[in-house]
Amino acid sequence: MSPEAIGEGVGASLRRKEDARFLLGRGRYVGDIRAAGMLEVAFLRSPVAHARLLGVQKAEGAESRVFTAADLAGVGTIRAPSALPGFRVSEQPVLATGKLRHVGEPIAACLAPSRAAAEDLAAACILDYEALPVVADMLTARAPGAPLVHEHWPDNAFLETFRDEDLSELDSIAAAKVTRRLRTARQCMVPMEGRGVLAEWDPRLEQLIVTTSTQQPHVIRTGLSEVLGLDEGQIRVVAPDVGGGFGYKGILSPEEVVCCHLAMRLGRPVRWIEDRLEHLSANANCREHHYTVTAWADAGGRLLGVDVDATVDSGAYSLYPFSACLESAQVGSIFPGPYTLPRFRCRTVSACTNKPPILPYRGVARTGVCYALETTLDALARQLGITPAAIRLANLVPPEAMPYRNLVGKVFDSGDYPQALRRALAAIDHDRIAARRAAGECIGFGLAVFCEQGAHGTSVYHGWGIPFVPGYEQATARFTPDGVLEIRTGLQSHGQGMETTFAQVAHEVLGLPTARVRVVHGDTALTPYSTGTWGSRAAVMGGGAVAEACRLLGERALAIGASLLQAEPGAVELSGGAVRRRDGGAAVTLEEIARTWYRRPQNLPRGVDTGGLEVTGGYRPDPDTGTHSYACHAVTLRIDTETGEVVLEDYLIVEDGGVLLNPMIVDGQVLGGLAQGIGTALYEEMPFDEAGQPLAGTLADYLIPGTAELPEVRIDHMETPSPWTRFGQKGLGESGAIGPPAAIVNAINDALAPFGAEVLDLPASPARVLAALEAARAR
Amino acid sequence: MTRLPIRLTVNGEPAEVLAEPRTHLADLLRGELLLTGTHIGCEHGVCGACTVELDGAPARSCITHAGACDGATIRTIEGFGEDAVMAALREAFSAEHALQCGYCTPGMLVAARDIVLRLPGADEARVREELSGNLCRCTGYRGIVRAVMRVLEERRGR
Amino acid sequence: MKPAPFAYARPADWPAALALLGSGARPVAGGQSIGPMLNLRMAQPGLVADLRHLPEFGGIAVQGGTCRIGAGTTHAAIEDGAVPGRLGAILAGVARRIAYRPVRNRGTIGGSLAHADPAADWVAVLPAFPGHAVALGPAGERRIPLAGFVTGIFETALRPEEVLRAIELPLLPPETRWGHWKFCRKPGEFSKATACLLAIPGQAPRAVLAALDGPPLPIPDATALLAAPEAEADRLLATLPGLEPWRAALARTALRRAAGMAAAGMPTA
Repeated sequence: MSPEAIGEGVGASLRRKEDARFLLGRGRYVGDIRAAGMLEVAFLRSPVAHARLLGVQKAEGAESRVFTAADLAGVGTIRAPSALPGFRVSEQPVLATGKLRHVGEPIAACLAPSRAAAEDLAAACILDYEALPVVADMLTARAPGAPLVHEHWPDNAFLETFRDEDLSELDSIAAAKVTRRLRTARQCMVPMEGRGVLAEWDPRLEQLIVTTSTQQPHVIRTGLSEVLGLDEGQIRVVAPDVGGGFGYKGILSPEEVVCCHLAMRLGRPVRWIEDRLEHLSANANCREHHYTVTAWADAGGRLLGVDVDATVDSGAYSLYPFSACLESAQVGSIFPGPYTLPRFRCRTVSACTNKPPILPYRGVARTGVCYALETTLDALARQLGITPAAIRLANLVPPEAMPYRNLVGKVFDSGDYPQALRRALAAIDHDRIAARRAAGECIGFGLAVFCEQGAHGTSVYHGWGIPFVPGYEQATARFTPDGVLEIRTGLQSHGQGMETTFAQVAHEVLGLPTARVRVVHGDTALTPYSTGTWGSRAAVMGGGAVAEACRLLGERALAIGASLLQAEPGAVELSGGAVRRRDGGAAVTLEEIARTWYRRPQNLPRGVDTGGLEVTGGYRPDPDTGTHSYACHAVTLRIDTETGEVVLEDYLIVEDGGVLLNPMIVDGQVLGGLAQGIGTALYEEMPFDEAGQPLAGTLADYLIPGTAELPEVRIDHMETPSPWTRFGQKGLGESGAIGPPAAIVNAINDALAPFGAEVLDLPASPARVLAALEAARAR
Repeated sequence: MTRLPIRLTVNGEPAEVLAEPRTHLADLLRGELLLTGTHIGCEHGVCGACTVELDGAPARSCITHAGACDGATIRTIEGFGEDAVMAALREAFSAEHALQCGYCTPGMLVAARDIVLRLPGADEARVREELSGNLCRCTGYRGIVRAVMRVLEERRGR
Repeated sequence: MKPAPFAYARPADWPAALALLGSGARPVAGGQSIGPMLNLRMAQPGLVADLRHLPEFGGIAVQGGTCRIGAGTTHAAIEDGAVPGRLGAILAGVARRIAYRPVRNRGTIGGSLAHADPAADWVAVLPAFPGHAVALGPAGERRIPLAGFVTGIFETALRPEEVLRAIELPLLPPETRWGHWKFCRKPGEFSKATACLLAIPGQAPRAVLAALDGPPLPIPDATALLAAPEAEADRLLATLPGLEPWRAALARTALRRAAGMAAAGMPTA
C-alpha cells in the first residue's frame, strides 16, 4: 500500500508521539523525581563472593540511619519458585542474613539526605565475616565436594531437566558427526538508565506509592505485596519514563523492597538510584551458558539427531518473577531451532554459583541456543564438504508444513524459512568475497537462521509455574469529554514506542487521528493488570487488546451516533472518526458523540449502554502458543590475523515479523537488538576471578558497542501474516539480539578455516581469535 | 562538609548555588537547579549521557566537580530553545528514529551539535568516530548517524 | 558513585599552587583522569588544587627551535592545530584519538602525562621525543628528559613538591617521519598496546613501546626497528616476559606497524 493509503494506521512508519519530550530533555525518569524530605539510600554490599556474615558495625554516630536485616522485622524473603519438577527455590533475603552469596549482595541500607553522604555512611560501616570457599564456575559447581551456595541443598543446582532419546544407532548410520564444547560469556544488560526506585507512603490513601524503573509494574506490585505483607490495593506502582530495560527491569529487586519498607517505617520518601558500578559489579547478570553438542547428519546434510548437554550459570538466587529455571528449561524447548529435527536428547542444568543471579536478557536462551546450534551446523557442513546454506536448506521447516509442530511440541505459526535464507544468499556478492579471499584477505561469510517465539500465552507459561502466568491481555479505551481517546494499558513502554503504535491501532479501528489518541501506561492505579513488557509480547498482546477495546468502544459510540442521526444502528457505520449513514448522508463525529455522553446526556437514546464511553477489552490469540517470527542473518567480515580484530563489513538481516504495525519502529527494534547481539558476539564479557570477584567495574572495561562498531546494515522484510493474531503481527523485539553471535562466529570460523582454526567461546575477542590461531599452529 | 558558593551562568541565566566541592556538575545541575534533562549514565566519563556545553564546548558533567565549575558558563539540553542547529537535529532525530528510551538523547544531541558546527565537512565514518563517546543501548545508532548526516548535508546544501 | 569528601582550592598564582602542593594537595588540571577515580573512591584526596586558572598554564610558545606547550593545554587545542608545523601535525594526530572530544575539551597534556596511566596516549608517545618535561618546584624550574619522565604505573620523576609546568619539544623538520599505532577495540578505549617511532633527519630514530600495564619502554635508538621491524620486534618482545600471549602479539604488531608507517613516510595518523 502507498503511504497515503496506509495513513496513520497499521503499517505506517508514523513518527513517534513520544519523541518530543525526550528531544527537549523533558523525559521524566525516576532519578528526575524528588520528594520533599526525601532520603537517598546507598547500600553496603558484600565485598566477597561467599562468606559467613558475622556482624555489621554500623557507622559510628549514625546507627539510626543504617539498617541491616535485623532491623527489617516483618519483611519476607523474595521467593521465585517454579512448578517444574525438582526445582529448588532459593530464599533471597532483601538484606543479607547469615551468609553472603555473591559480590555486591546488599547487606545494609544507609540513608542520608544525599547519595554522597549515604555512601559515606556505607564506607564507615565495618563488616565482620568469615570467608568461605567460593563456587565461581558453573561446571565445577556440581563436582563432588564442591562448597554449597545454599547449605541445605544436596548440590548446587536449581533444576535439572532431561529429555531422553536413544541416539546410539546414529554413529553407525550417520555420514558425519561433530561434537562441540561452547561457552557464552556472562553479560550485563547495561540499559543506559540503571534501576531506581522512589518509595513514599501516602497516609491519606494509606498507600505505598512506588515509582520504579520497571518493565512490569503490576507484577512488581504483586511481589511487593507478598514480601511486605500488604494488600495489593495498598500499593501503587508507577513506572515513569524508563531508560531501557532489555529484561534487566523485569525483576522485583531487594532494593525496591528495602526502600518501600523504610519509607513506611520512617514516614519519609526513600530513593535508591542504581549507579553503573552497582549495575556492573553487584546486580543481576545474564547469558552465561556452556554447551556440549553432538550432531549427526547424513551425506546430504539431513540432521539425524542432536544431543545437548547444557549448563546455565544461574548465580546465587532465583529472581522474581522469572525464576532461575526459565533460561535452562528454555534451552531444552527451543534447541531444535527452525529445523525438522527427527531426534533430540537434551540435559540441562541451572547451576547455582556465588555470582549475581541471572535474568532473562533480550533473546533469553535463544541467543545461546542459536549460537550453539548454528555453529555446530557449520561444523557439520565443513565435515561433509557442503555449504552452510545447503545444510540449512536440507533441514529448515518447509512452508507447506506450516503451521508446524516440532518434536518438542513447539508450534510454528507461519512463514517460509527457506525463502528467508535464499533471499539473504541472493543479496550477497559471493564472487567478490571469493576474489578477496583469493587475493589473500582473511574474509569470512557466516549465516544464522532462527525463529523467535513471542507473545507466549497461558498454555506456554502455566507449565513453568513461575510467579505469574500471562492470560488475557487487557486494555481500556475511553473518550474524554472533548472526544480525545485515552488508551490505558498495563504494559510499559521504555523505548518500544507504544504511545505511537497503540495510537495507530486505535486509528485503525476507530479512524480518529493519532494526534487525538493518548496512551497511558506504566501505572497500576490507571491501567488494567498486565504481566508487562517482556518476551516480545506487546505488539501482539497489547495491539490485540487495544484493538478489542476500541472495537467495543466503537460499538457503544455507534449506538449513540445512530440515535443522533436518527438512524437504525444497522444503517450507520464507523469510519474516519465519525459515525456515518451508510447511504452517504449525515455523519456525527466521535467528538460530538463523546460530548453528548458526558455533557449533553439529554440527547442520549433510551436504553443506551450505561457503561458509557469507557470499556475494557481483553485479548488472547487462539491458539496462544505464541507467534514465531524468524530471520536469516548473513554477515561478511574480515579478520586482522595479527591482532585478532574482527571488522564487520556487511550485515544483512532478512526478517519476517508478520504484519508490521510501524515498520520504522520495527527496524529500530531489529537494529537495537543487533547492536546488543554484536556486543554478545564480539565485545561483552563480565569476567570473574576464582574468588568470584567481577573484574569489569566500568564501561571502559565492560565494552558495549558504539557508533564505530556497527557495520552497514541491510534489512529485508518478509511479511507473512500470523494466522492467529489480530492484524497478523508477530513479536520480534528480541530477534536482532539472537542471531549475531551465531552468524558472526560462523563467519569468523569461515575466515579461519584455511588456518584450521575455530573459535568456540564468546565473545570472539582478539584474545580468543589469536588463541584459536595459535592453537591451530601448534597442532 | 563545607559547602562552597558556586557561581554559574546556566542557559544564559546567572545562578549561585551552595555545593560541596565533591558534587559533580551533573548532580549540581540536576539536584540544585532541577535541570534534569542532563542524564547520568556511568559517572566515569565513558557513556556521554551527561554531556553538556561547558564554557562553549561539550564536556562530561559527571567528571567535572563543583569547585572547578565556579565561574563557568553552561548550556544544557534545556538551553537550546533558540538554536537553529539544535532545532534541525531534533527534527532529524525524530524523522530518522534516532531515539527510543530517550535516556542518551540529550547528551547525544549536545555532542551532535558540536560535530555539525565543528566538522561541517564530516562524512559518515567521521561522524561515527566522533559520536563514539556517546553510548546508546536502544537504537543500534543507525538513526542517530543518519540524523546527524542529514543535518550536515542540509547545511552543506545551503 | 560519589566521591569521598574533599576540600577544593583554586590557587591564583604559581607560588600559591606550590604552597598547596607542599601541604599535600592533589594537583588537578582538566580532571578527566582523576574525575572517574574520585567518583569511584579509588582516589580520596583531602584537598584538591585546581591548576586550571594559573597564569600561562595552557598556551603554546615557540622560541628558537623549541615549542613550549603549557601543561594545561587541552588535547582538543592540540588536535585543532595549536602546535605549529610538522610537530603540530604529529601531535594533532595523537590528540585526536585520545578518549572522546568532550573529554579532550577538558583534559590536558600535562595532566595526562603527570597522571602517568600506562595506557594513556601522551604517556605512550612523548618519550619518543627529544624533549623535556618542565617541572616547577620551590627552587624554580627543572627539565626532565621525556624518555625518563614516567617511571612506573602512576609514577613520574616529579618530586612531591613539584608540579608539571610545561612540555618542551623541538620543532620538527617537514621530512620527519612518524609512525604511531595503538590497539583499541573502540575509539577512545584505553590502548592495549601502543608503539610509535619518530625519525628526525640526522638523528637516530627513537621509538616507544607502551600500554602494556607498566611504564612506557623507550627505545632510544630504533635504527634496527626501522630497518628490520619483524626481527627487532621479536627481539624486543623477548625482553618482556610475562605478557599474556595476546598482549605480546599486539605489542609485536604495534612495533612492526609503527615502524612500517614511519618507514613508509606516512603522515601522522
